Amino acid sequence: MVTVFVAAAIAMLIGIIPAGIVLSRGNLMAAVVAYEFITSVMVMVLALLAQGFQRSGLFELAVLLAVLMFGSGLVFVRTLERWL
Amino acid sequence: MARDIGADILLGLAVVIVITSSVGVLVMRDPYQKLHFVTPAALVAPALVALAVLVRMGLDENTGETCLALVLMGIAGPFLSHATVRAIRIRETGDWRLRKGGQAAAEGEPS
Repeated sequence: MVTVFVAAAIAMLIGIIPAGIVLSRGNLMAAVVAYEFITSVMVMVLALLAQGFQRSGLFELAVLLAVLMFGSGLVFVRTLERWL
Repeated sequence: MARDIGADILLGLAVVIVITSSVGVLVMRDPYQKLHFVTPAALVAPALVALAVLVRMGLDENTGETCLALVLMGIAGPFLSHATVRAIRIRETGDWRLRKGGQAAAEGEPS
């Protein structure tokens, strides 16, 4: 049974298609912004899927991605700022 | 029943915010403008999702973990936005500081 949480997760995945277009076709810094946007949405998608499928263990993935989003994003933009 | 409807409304709002922000990221001209549309998806929509989980499930482990992810995103978002703007500006002008005339300062030059 597809709950409203799973439906919302699917709708969000469809909703990030415009940002995906920017990620694949935009210039480098626009692509970085799109990457940050998509990462933020993916945290929500993981939380929604965990709730939708009633798997409380899967919430760890959302928390983990939220932590990694900070570290990886900072490393990414600092690298682009200094070396690329 | 009322809880279900409340959660549905909150989730619907979160989806609308994500979709409109995504379109905003697509249609805005430069990365500075695009970056404005990351904030609603990084802060407002997760808050709505956390509220939806809270309304549906009450105070339990799932709600706590969703709120933890929300807090982490709330802390990370502003730092990440600032670092991104700084990187964009340095790539465009060579330095993030402004000179008096409005031009960016050269590398190592005091502002």
